[in-house]
Amino acid sequence: MNGSDHLSRTDPGALYRELSRSNLPATKRWFLGVGLLAIATLWGIGCFIYQMKTGMGVTGLNRPVMWGSFITSFVFWIGLSHSGTLISAILRLTNATWRAPILRGAEALTAFTLMVGGLFPLIHIGRNWRFYYMIPYPNSRGLWPNLRSPLMWDAVAINTYLLGSLTFLYFGMIPDLAIARDHATGWRKKFYAVLALGFRGTHNEWRRYHIASTIFAILIIPVAVSVHSIVGWDFGMAKVPGWHSTIFAPYFVTGAIFSGIAAVVIVMATLRKVFHLERVLTVVQFENLGKLLCTMSLLWGYFYFSDFLTVWYNRNPEEWEVFRSYAGDYLPLFLVMIGCNFVISFPLLCMRRVRRSIPALSFVSLLVVIGMYAERFLIVVPSLARRNDPFIWHNYVPSWVEFSIMAGALSMFLLLYTIFTKLFPIMAISDIQEHLFHTTDRKIGEVTADSITMPHDTGKGGHG
Amino acid sequence: MSGIVVVGLFEAVDPAAAAARALRALPLPEGDVTTISPMSLPDGAVCRDSRGIGFPKFTLVGWFVGALAGLALALATYLLYPLFTGGKAIVSVPPTLIITYEVAMLGALAGTVIAGFREMRLCRFRTRLIHDPRIQEGKILLCARVSGDEQAKRAIDAMKSAGGIDVRPEEGEL
Amino acid sequence: MNIKWAMAIDLDRCTGCGACVVACVAENNIPVVGEAEAEKGRMMQWLRVARYWDGEYPEAQAVYLPVPCMQCERAPCETVCPVYATYHNEDGLNAMVYNRCVGTRYCANNCPYSVRVFNWFDHTWEKPLDEQLSPDLTTRSRGVMEKCTFCIQRIRRAKETAALEGREIRDGEFVPACVQTCPPGALLFGNMADPHSEIARKLKDPRRFRLMEHLGTEPRVVYLKRQKGAGR
Repeated sequence: MNGSDHLSRTDPGALYRELSRSNLPATKRWFLGVGLLAIATLWGIGCFIYQMKTGMGVTGLNRPVMWGSFITSFVFWIGLSHSGTLISAILRLTNATWRAPILRGAEALTAFTLMVGGLFPLIHIGRNWRFYYMIPYPNSRGLWPNLRSPLMWDAVAINTYLLGSLTFLYFGMIPDLAIARDHATGWRKKFYAVLALGFRGTHNEWRRYHIASTIFAILIIPVAVSVHSIVGWDFGMAKVPGWHSTIFAPYFVTGAIFSGIAAVVIVMATLRKVFHLERVLTVVQFENLGKLLCTMSLLWGYFYFSDFLTVWYNRNPEEWEVFRSYAGDYLPLFLVMIGCNFVISFPLLCMRRVRRSIPALSFVSLLVVIGMYAERFLIVVPSLARRNDPFIWHNYVPSWVEFSIMAGALSMFLLLYTIFTKLFPIMAISDIQEHLFHTTDRKIGEVTADSITMPHDTGKGGHG
Repeated sequence: MSGIVVVGLFEAVDPAAAAARALRALPLPEGDVTTISPMSLPDGAVCRDSRGIGFPKFTLVGWFVGALAGLALALATYLLYPLFTGGKAIVSVPPTLIITYEVAMLGALAGTVIAGFREMRLCRFRTRLIHDPRIQEGKILLCARVSGDEQAKRAIDAMKSAGGIDVRPEEGEL
Repeated sequence: MNIKWAMAIDLDRCTGCGACVVACVAENNIPVVGEAEAEKGRMMQWLRVARYWDGEYPEAQAVYLPVPCMQCERAPCETVCPVYATYHNEDGLNAMVYNRCVGTRYCANNCPYSVRVFNWFDHTWEKPLDEQLSPDLTTRSRGVMEKCTFCIQRIRRAKETAALEGREIRDGEFVPACVQTCPPGALLFGNMADPHSEIARKLKDPRRFRLMEHLGTEPRVVYLKRQKGAGR
């Protein structure tokens, strides 16, 4: 950022126009894209209804592999949701000033991946229409759900996280909705006016808004950690060889943050391209995300190696058969996982040139996303396919119904995200404006550098 | 309180600060002078936040209410129709801790939202609120709540001499 | 008298004929899924006769292991069901409640013996096979787990009869279908809390072992080791 290209030299009106390009009236191309996504989503929903009416036998599941692609997808999508928490919450609390342009996109990513991920428990159960048995409500049989089951912990935790993330997303949007309301005309003005809840930007409102945002950030981090620990405990609590490992809670959280950051990179790179946000989403954002991705790749590799080492050294026969299958039937997937998550990605991410190149970083992030899906699959399936009794060992391949539903889930996510970017401000305009307000040019000798003002610590509590 | 509020647009922070100083010298109480700005200004730059911020304690209240609710949920599901499962105790402690924790966090989040909205005094759709969309051009709207025409006139003079644009009295709530 | 149903399986007598499996299918309205589904690993039998090979050709020997539900004291399947569709009843059996099951299949994953089977489809019995169905129990819809119940319908009937006649259940008064059918008499069933029952005596046999005992499930099915010797 130097010279006349500096965002702070843009007047606020022009800045708003630049940042809100996604909210321009929908074009034919937009409707075409949304239409295609809607068709793909409907196809997925149709396949699900077919499965509901015919039975789970239309999948590739069997005994002993009773959980397959649906649970893999569930863990995968919930894992992606840790992106927003990291960006919005952790970066906010540590005052990482580069976070402003990616806040909204990451928080929206969290909310929608959670929604899609939360559908999979409903999709994968055998009698979907009786899902309400898991809800604690007084009924004529006097029965209640069993809170000892990790699946019920899932239900409570994911609900809490979903409500928390949606609140976080909405609350953070209120000042931007106020800005949008002030700029908008017609039906949009009314729409934003209702959603902005009368926020205007008085001094008192700003102070309280900042404190509330900080408190949300502090609260959402432990919730996010607990959610994916609990998802990990779906496996960790089981008497399945290869699942019953005490490392699963931190291992899953690490994997979630890893895949989440990769998803943020991909989404941000896409938004940057589609809405011409080159001046806002600069190399600074991507390089920093790349550094975080590099760290998480190393952490993931560390956890995976620890788990593997313990099993390899102990050679407990039940667990060893599972790991042996990684060299057998599951070798291709294993290589994909190790390559995409660590062997290829980590060295690439260590290179500054890769981190500073948005196409390269997006490619590596795509590898990571694929590798993490393979990793979830390799956790779920081989342990079941090669479990305790060798007489009933059986392989598993997802059926066309499962592939359709996986594709439908992806298109549902893209559909929700696209509609969100059209209706709501996808850039955290007030945060960016605030960041620019605090940033000035400072001449040090021959070099001009950014100088960011920080108020003196009055000890009276954070202002966010 | 609704009443007369004198408002004026300022191009930059320094003239607004000067005007605010003049207004407080009128004298006007600190709580009656405030800014409406497109981004937050440091506390004391132009005006100061007079009301203490109390809502963080509602986070704690929400946390405890949620914890109690979670505990009640767990105990109710165990005890209302007790069934033996897997040799575990009827009242299993570790799952109870997990459920209690999760619902407690939900309560804390809910407490923060509700208290935050109340403290920010949002959702006042029926009242007429002071606002000027022109702040989105980077301007700051300085507002002063006055009692009586005499004070209003002096406030208008103070703002105009500090460089305020379109200084006018308005009816509405701050 | 306290009731603790238990089963003893004498591996010395088991010939691997599979009659127990057929009896179970007949008694408990278990559907036959067909060759295609069986290839996919979706057989519905509640009891399986697992066959393992001991040694190499030409000295290879088949070892047969009938595996019913172990009715574990600390059943891992019970804790993980989110809706209490499976729980431990007063007879010490692992009870399965079809109407409550929502089909999460976590119980099947948590069973180390893999004795639980899932209804992948709805099943129909074409005429006249539907006349073979036992009226003492239901047929299960798609999406529901099922497993060996130690023929709980026979247990209930025996309990009712005994209560009507105002007496205790006698040892050997009834047995599950598999025990009833086993030609070499490898299966034995009874109340191990009754010190005079045959099973209480059998459970003191030095050949006894439990399957996967190290997992701590405390199964109620006890196996009696095959003895090696001349001609065996």
